[in-house]
Amino acid sequence: MNLFVLYLLLLKAVATSFSGLTSLPVVRHDLVEQRGGLTDRQLNAAVAAGRTAPGPNGLYVVSVGYFVAGVPGACIGCLAVMTPAFLIIPMLRYLGARAERPAVKSAIQCVMIAAAGLVITSTVPLAKDALTSPLAVGIALGSFLFLVLTRKDTIWVVLGSAVVGLLGKLL
Amino acid sequence: MAALQSELVARRHWLDEEQYALIYGLARITPGTNLLAFAAAAAWKILGWAGAVAAVLAMTAPSAAMVVLLTRGYEAWNANALAMAAIGGTLAAASGMMATSAWQLLAPQIRSGRRARTVVIFLASVMASQAFSLPPVQLLGLAALAGLIWRTPVEP
Repeated sequence: MNLFVLYLLLLKAVATSFSGLTSLPVVRHDLVEQRGGLTDRQLNAAVAAGRTAPGPNGLYVVSVGYFVAGVPGACIGCLAVMTPAFLIIPMLRYLGARAERPAVKSAIQCVMIAAAGLVITSTVPLAKDALTSPLAVGIALGSFLFLVLTRKDTIWVVLGSAVVGLLGKLL
Repeated sequence: MAALQSELVARRHWLDEEQYALIYGLARITPGTNLLAFAAAAAWKILGWAGAVAAVLAMTAPSAAMVVLLTRGYEAWNANALAMAAIGGTLAAASGMMATSAWQLLAPQIRSGRRARTVVIFLASVMASQAFSLPPVQLLGLAALAGLIWRTPVEP
């Protein structure tokens, strides 16, 4: 895939989201469904890699770029993650206190809610690919409950799930 | 961002409370990763454009390199049965992480009393995406429009 096209697609996904994984539906729609440059399994692995590394949420896009076009693709993914951050500077200059307007806040709240719905619909096909045994279903449910109830770092989920997966194979 | 507040405002006095609050508010409505937008704006206030670029690079590049290494590890261990069992565990956990991400977006809306709007827009979003295959960008645009029209009395 042309790197510039990849950049535009990833930038579109990142720029239409307001937090880490809310860009996932757009990434899946463009790269898995429309162009076939990525598989659901690779997208799943990208999410796991992105959540394992420390740093800002949303870096799974770097892994997506790597799967599509190797190291140059990863650099493009990184660039796509960084680009929208600079939008805040003109906003800071010209918008200022208008950001606190109720209409703007209300619109963003509804975008976040709709994004949650999109994340769920994107999770279904990825889960179908990953949850192929009762143990995998248990790991997914356990991970969800652990993260919601404890708010501990994701790295513990990643390490714990790897150990459980390994034990499941050995025992 | 709380760690950055104590470092930038309380300890080093590079930003005052008002500047911090404005940047924090704007970062929340900037598309993309909020933390990166916050870093860009805070560094721009302190050092201009060079500072903004340096801050975003410093926050992204090391983690991105680690993500690439982890992805390469996934590819390299693809043929090893034991490694794949461990990776299979993490891939299963990724589904749980995605569901957590959706919950974290919904929970503040539900807790602040906007339950009816949250449920209606969430279900409409799922249906529009699943039943009518509405592309995500159009769907998010419609959600923003709904937010402009349907405002709730309770604001955070």
